[in-house]
Amino acid sequence: MPVFLSTHSRQALVMIRTNLSSLPRRRAISASMALSVALVVCVLAGFLSMAKGFETALASAGSPSVAVVLGGGTNQEVGSDIPAAVIRTLDAMTGDLGVIRDTGGKLLSSREIVVPVDMRQVTDGASRTLALRGMDLAGPSIREGVAVSAGRIFSPGAREIVVGDRLADEFGLGLGDVVRLGAVDWTVAGHFSAHGSAFESELWADLDAVRSAFDRQGQVQSLKLRLAGPASLTLLRDALATIRQAPLAAVSEADLYAAQSGRTASLIRLFGWPLALLMAVGAAAGALNTMMSSVSDRTVEIATVRALGFSRLSAFLGTWIEAIVLAAAGVAVGLIASWLIFNGWQASTIGANNARMAFQLAVTPDVLLTSGLLGLAIGILGGALPAIAATRLPLTAALRTRG
Amino acid sequence: MTQDNEPYIALGGIRKAYRIGGEMIPIFTGLDLTIPRGDFVAVMGPSGSGKSTLLNMLAGIDRPDGGTLRIGTSHLDQMGEAARAGWRAHNMGIVFQFYNLLPMLTAAENVELPLLLKPLTRKERRLRVERVLDLVGLSGREKQYPALMSGGQQQRVGIARAIVSDPGLLLCDEPTGDLDRKSADEVLEMLRFLNRQLEKTIIMVTHDPQAALYARRTLHLDKGDFIEEKRAA
Ligand SMILES: Nc1ncnc2c1ncn2[C@@H]1O[C@H](COP(=O)(O)OP(=O)(O)OP(=O)(O)O)[C@@H](O)[C@H]1O
Ligand SMILES: [Mg+2]
Repeated sequence: MPVFLSTHSRQALVMIRTNLSSLPRRRAISASMALSVALVVCVLAGFLSMAKGFETALASAGSPSVAVVLGGGTNQEVGSDIPAAVIRTLDAMTGDLGVIRDTGGKLLSSREIVVPVDMRQVTDGASRTLALRGMDLAGPSIREGVAVSAGRIFSPGAREIVVGDRLADEFGLGLGDVVRLGAVDWTVAGHFSAHGSAFESELWADLDAVRSAFDRQGQVQSLKLRLAGPASLTLLRDALATIRQAPLAAVSEADLYAAQSGRTASLIRLFGWPLALLMAVGAAAGALNTMMSSVSDRTVEIATVRALGFSRLSAFLGTWIEAIVLAAAGVAVGLIASWLIFNGWQASTIGANNARMAFQLAVTPDVLLTSGLLGLAIGILGGALPAIAATRLPLTAALRTRG
Repeated sequence: MTQDNEPYIALGGIRKAYRIGGEMIPIFTGLDLTIPRGDFVAVMGPSGSGKSTLLNMLAGIDRPDGGTLRIGTSHLDQMGEAARAGWRAHNMGIVFQFYNLLPMLTAAENVELPLLLKPLTRKERRLRVERVLDLVGLSGREKQYPALMSGGQQQRVGIARAIVSDPGLLLCDEPTGDLDRKSADEVLEMLRFLNRQLEKTIIMVTHDPQAALYARRTLHLDKGDFIEEKRAA
């Protein structure tokens, strides 16, 4: 223990202590200030964790070592089309394309199409649009982090689907279940997991089975290729540039999903921040009001210690720190509530291919930090003016009233 | 340093006016007053005559509009707000009519407040607090909260707080105004003791002629000026 705490800090400490111990006199208004801060924190944390969860879902979906070739001058799967001739040309290319080949020298690739299908949810019976992806047998293994969690992968040519874990949960799709997609019935052959990424919101099936069921004979929307490494994408691009039959673009899977998630996540933030800030302004006004009433409630006490020789600074700090402590209490409540309410909450949005994409809200440390700081800022700003008012109390007038 | 023949407190040509309803109402228009060290002055006068205003100026919590105000070596009229707060902390004790104890602090903690402004250790502060509480006859009540004390006891805590940092000057604004006769007499005895035994200079505003009898002399304030009461020895 320091022998001499500076007299300034001792004054401030006793002022802070007396302020806080007089809080019960202002229980209702103080609690309402803390709660309004908590509400702001919750709203911001909600939006930020939604954006964060969305980013996480899409970011983990994309690998930099997987190339997606798109045709028809688009940079997303919707509207992309790759003529069969192009694929034949590509397959025939010898040289190093930057793409891994199997033992037979064949490119490790998967031709894919995505078809929107309607599926009825077990819980509320509402039907929703999902993405059914037809792919070559190599499709699942090309992707990173995908594992069959139950059952097996679809058989070539069979009307079988494998279902992302998330959808399996949501729609109650057990192994062996039969679901009707389009005009035909499909059997659930297996479940797959993909670290909770956007993939888990898809249904996967054999390419030819999907083509024939939805009358898309011969169509290929995208071609997935397993690269030797992230840097090999340029080799592939060079090779594609020599193919003159159709305009082709190759992007890394990571970039493809990042571009999508970036747009949606910033949209969520663009909506969340102004709302949270607007509410924060309201809460700051409430804090101002609360602290003004705290100052007027303590007028005689402040004037008394000032008359004894306490500094203006101590009057300022006492009031200001009371505001910050109240805001901090609100922040604590808000953060705990956000965590309990939002973390792991399932949300969904219209993702790629106009199909529903499910994701989990992610209340991450930086979401908590950002929302917490906004909450504290309410106390810091809302308490500053009343704290200044506390230093400017007219002492003579204050001391004329009964203590 | 002040010379021995110089008065302890010297007010010269003090002017003070308050704005009341858009109009400046003069309270003092050239007040002169000197008080020697060790004096005990009772200030009486009709309500609104400026007794509290005078006391507040002496305490450095109000400022004259003009004139000079010196206490000891400090020229209060020339000092800024922060300097006057520092001066208050070290040079005077103040006793209020309504005691002005902080309700959330114990008696000992209330008395300790002025000591927080001095470079003292916790132990030194505790010893001093114990000593003054003993002096005002409240030893054993250190941990009691003001709300549980009688008015007379609360005012004795107030006096203990005013003298704990051992100031030379004690300013009391109607210290017995809220007390019954018996408690008032106890408090007044205490003030007389502080003046006679501990040589505190005391200026006490009061409406009570009986209280004024405890002082060495009485000044009557009326229409902004003093009339000294001639008292039979
Ligand atoms: N802060 C202030 N603002 C405006 N007017 C004031 C203020 N303080 C005092 N006055 C006015 O100055 C005059 C003198 O006030 P003061 O309190 O000094 O009188 P007093 O002699 O102490 O009266 P009382 O015996 O009622 O306590 C009064 O008319 C009062 O209304
Ligand atoms: Mg008065």
